[in-house]
Amino acid sequence: MAFELTVNGRRHRVDADPDTPLLWIIRDQIGLTGTKFSCGIGQCGACTVHLDGKPVRSCSLKAGLAAGKQITTIEGISKDGTHPIQEAWKAFDAPQCGYCQSGMIMASLALLKQNPRPNDADIDAAVTNACRCGTYHRIRKAIHRAAELMRA
Amino acid sequence: MGVDRRKFLKASAAAGAPFVLGLWIPPKPAMAGVAAPPGASWDREPPVPEVNAWIVIQPDDTVIVRIAQTEIGQGVWTSCAMMICEELQCDWKKVRPEYASSNRDAREQAPAWTLKVPGDGAQDPTGGGTPNMGAPATRNRPGGLGVPDSLYRRMRTNAAASVADGRYYQQLAGAEARERLLLAAARLWNAPVGELVAKDSVITHAKSRRRTTYGKVAHLAAATPHPNPEAIRIKAADQWTLMGTEQKNLDVPDKVMGRIVYGIDVKVPGMKWAAVKACPVYGGDVKSFDFEAIRGRPGVISAMQFGIPDPKLLRNHTFSGGVAVIAESWWQAKTALDAMPIEWAIPPKEGAFNTQNMHAALIASLDEPGRTRVNLGDVDKAFAGAAKIVEATYSTPYLARARMEPGNATVLVTDDRVDLWIGDQSPQETRYSASQITGIPEKDVYLHLCHLGGGYGRNGNGPQAEQAIMIANAHRGTPIHMLWTREEDFIGTTYRAMSVARLKAALDADGWPIAIEVRIGMDKEGFGPDASFNGVSRYFTPNYRFSTHTTTFHVPVGTRRGVGQAANEFYRESFLNELAHAAGKDPYLYRRELIGRTNLPYKADMIKALDMAAEMSGWGTPLPKGKVRAIALEERGGETKGAATISAMVHTVSLSPSGDIKLERVDVAHEEGFGFINPLSVRKQIEGQIHWFYNDAVHQAANLENGRIVENNFDRFPISRMAEDPPELNIRFFKTGHWLIGMGHDRATSVQSAIAEAIAQTSGKRIRDLPFNTHDLSWS
Ligand code: FES
Ligand code: FES
Repeated sequence: MAFELTVNGRRHRVDADPDTPLLWIIRDQIGLTGTKFSCGIGQCGACTVHLDGKPVRSCSLKAGLAAGKQITTIEGISKDGTHPIQEAWKAFDAPQCGYCQSGMIMASLALLKQNPRPNDADIDAAVTNACRCGTYHRIRKAIHRAAELMRA
Repeated sequence: MGVDRRKFLKASAAAGAPFVLGLWIPPKPAMAGVAAPPGASWDREPPVPEVNAWIVIQPDDTVIVRIAQTEIGQGVWTSCAMMICEELQCDWKKVRPEYASSNRDAREQAPAWTLKVPGDGAQDPTGGGTPNMGAPATRNRPGGLGVPDSLYRRMRTNAAASVADGRYYQQLAGAEARERLLLAAARLWNAPVGELVAKDSVITHAKSRRRTTYGKVAHLAAATPHPNPEAIRIKAADQWTLMGTEQKNLDVPDKVMGRIVYGIDVKVPGMKWAAVKACPVYGGDVKSFDFEAIRGRPGVISAMQFGIPDPKLLRNHTFSGGVAVIAESWWQAKTALDAMPIEWAIPPKEGAFNTQNMHAALIASLDEPGRTRVNLGDVDKAFAGAAKIVEATYSTPYLARARMEPGNATVLVTDDRVDLWIGDQSPQETRYSASQITGIPEKDVYLHLCHLGGGYGRNGNGPQAEQAIMIANAHRGTPIHMLWTREEDFIGTTYRAMSVARLKAALDADGWPIAIEVRIGMDKEGFGPDASFNGVSRYFTPNYRFSTHTTTFHVPVGTRRGVGQAANEFYRESFLNELAHAAGKDPYLYRRELIGRTNLPYKADMIKALDMAAEMSGWGTPLPKGKVRAIALEERGGETKGAATISAMVHTVSLSPSGDIKLERVDVAHEEGFGFINPLSVRKQIEGQIHWFYNDAVHQAANLENGRIVENNFDRFPISRMAEDPPELNIRFFKTGHWLIGMGHDRATSVQSAIAEAIAQTSGKRIRDLPFNTHDLSWS
């Protein structure tokens, strides 16, 4: 069955079962592989994208339910990696293996859009993604830096 | 689906080629040169001739540096590039790492000048030994054919050894290229090469006021071999300008854009997807499966059974046989596989293992004679005369690595060539596997390395490549991307072995040990049962006995981050805390005194680490009830002169009355040693390992039930989150003079004993079995 999805401002006609998780449509059909698969059960957040600005775990969302909404992936936040949150991430050299980082950035960005001055407790509550490499210390610093950059 | 409609197809039991069910697509032409997307560096010809096998310089001065190790987040792309570029003296901003070709490694020998290591001026200043690289045993991979002293030698990323093992020849590679660039310019200008200066990719000749760049002379250098490469020497440590400085990781800009290509992201024309299920009991196989039940599902192409991968290709690990479904998309393959009836053939012995009977067998092994590894003095006599005896039994569970990227590989087999796209920490071994499974020689195997979404002890210990090669070999001509589910990833991995330890000490009237006996029980194949205890006791005792005891289980066990140190330092340092309490002494000063009494070669460094961590933490200043500081020593190689890595940490831990653990603060004193390349990467590795061992201590265990692993996703195998990160984290380095072993895998083991100590001091409960969250830690 065909349906339409809007990803990073572009409309895509997708020919797939609308019950397919959004993650696999984004990765396989639309070809944006920055969004990652890890647990497939909504536990880790590696697959986080924005749906109308809100963070969702795309492995656990049927693609059909995203029709008519604005989907944003890591590839959509800037063309050249210069979004303030990406600059902040680079400033602290936050990623290790990097596999969780697209999801981390998307979860953190959703927080910053809704709360431009998050404190540590706000970050703990909103950014619940898993990073097996344990990059949390740098991510926290990077979120605070990104908040500053985004307010400026 | 009724049973009557179910046509169970007896899976092909015939040896040889697997039996594929379903429609197969005719072979397509081999895919030699699939274009690499941005962020990927796949086996391909360089755009211009190379200067040497490590370095390609383009006319615009871009320097492509070939990295023979795999980036798993440890920063090896950057640290290897730093070692090469320290000598090359090129513009660091224009450096672009790329994976070295493991195919070429199967065809070419290393240049003779790289085999003569170490070079002048790079000896350990205190004579503390040479890096492993000098030893032929580590230079060549085990098993396989390839060529002796192959081009990139040790294309294996393990043991935190990439820097230590590769430093000499990578520095030499940079130096050789620099010398050839200088010679090329000298020849061009007809000037003596000794008068030329190379810096930041610019060559100058002050006398004639001439200037050129590497990019302009690289083609000349590439065409002219160095007349006497054996004479080239690498820089002594005091001449380093890049090595030893904090450098951000070169791939981070791509990582924050989601552009790095991991194995899972690989897409090649005509590719189909495979989902697999292997028998959840190791040693088990497929009895039957019913392809007819799913044949008509959308996208489904075929199904096949694959056998137990040859243990000889997998370091003698026996995994299990399984079934693959191949479809147009992975989701189609996965959901079809979920719907397909499969019956497993489970061997009764393997199927009867569970955590309880395995743990009991290990405990029982401790009473067997075992293998005595150290026996100094007269332990029994000392026990007979002890003022006090302290005895404790500890245990740690099986543990998975649980990297974030599930296992996967893309493989295309044609009649004369194999292409693999995979994140792999041992590409030479995988190249050999591909050759053995397909019958195609290693020189025709092209392994396109990808970044890995985490390694933590060699992903290569699992059968992801072998499964994918078997599937693709049965579908020659069509590229197959095999991807595991998270649950499957928990089956297709080796585990850290469960282990138990019984420690016993005889104390004199002042509380000092007069004898220590250590018994470790572990699966026969387990890694590092002797870690942290072998040779000599790190804490002084005149009488010391150390033995290891084994049983045999079916779970494939391998090297997981921390290897033997992880559990053994938990045992050792926990026991030291127990002894200090029994002696009524401060755990920091108790350690300090006992190390001081030894003859350990680096005892001054160990004491320095303890002193520094204690001082950083404000050791001794009062804390409220429920908050505890605990100290521990971490060392690898500390028992003999040679390479070692030494650190000490103080963890400030709080325990709420309801039993919630919080790591409040960590103070780290870590040595710099000799061969510290990128301090920023070391910091990041230490930060990450604090979480790693916090997870081992607090959250994680892999249990067995009916022979199968129970915890197979992150709901049951939890990973710490942001809220658990210690709010305060201080890392300081101090100078020492010996070779370092590596910092990537056994730092921060102290988190485990420190949390145990905090729990004991706060609640009075001494927990000796990990993880803590399986215990009631409440107090009032
Ligand atoms: S892959 Fe979606 S939450 Fe883990
Ligand atoms: S950076 Fe490796 S999982 Fe987060």
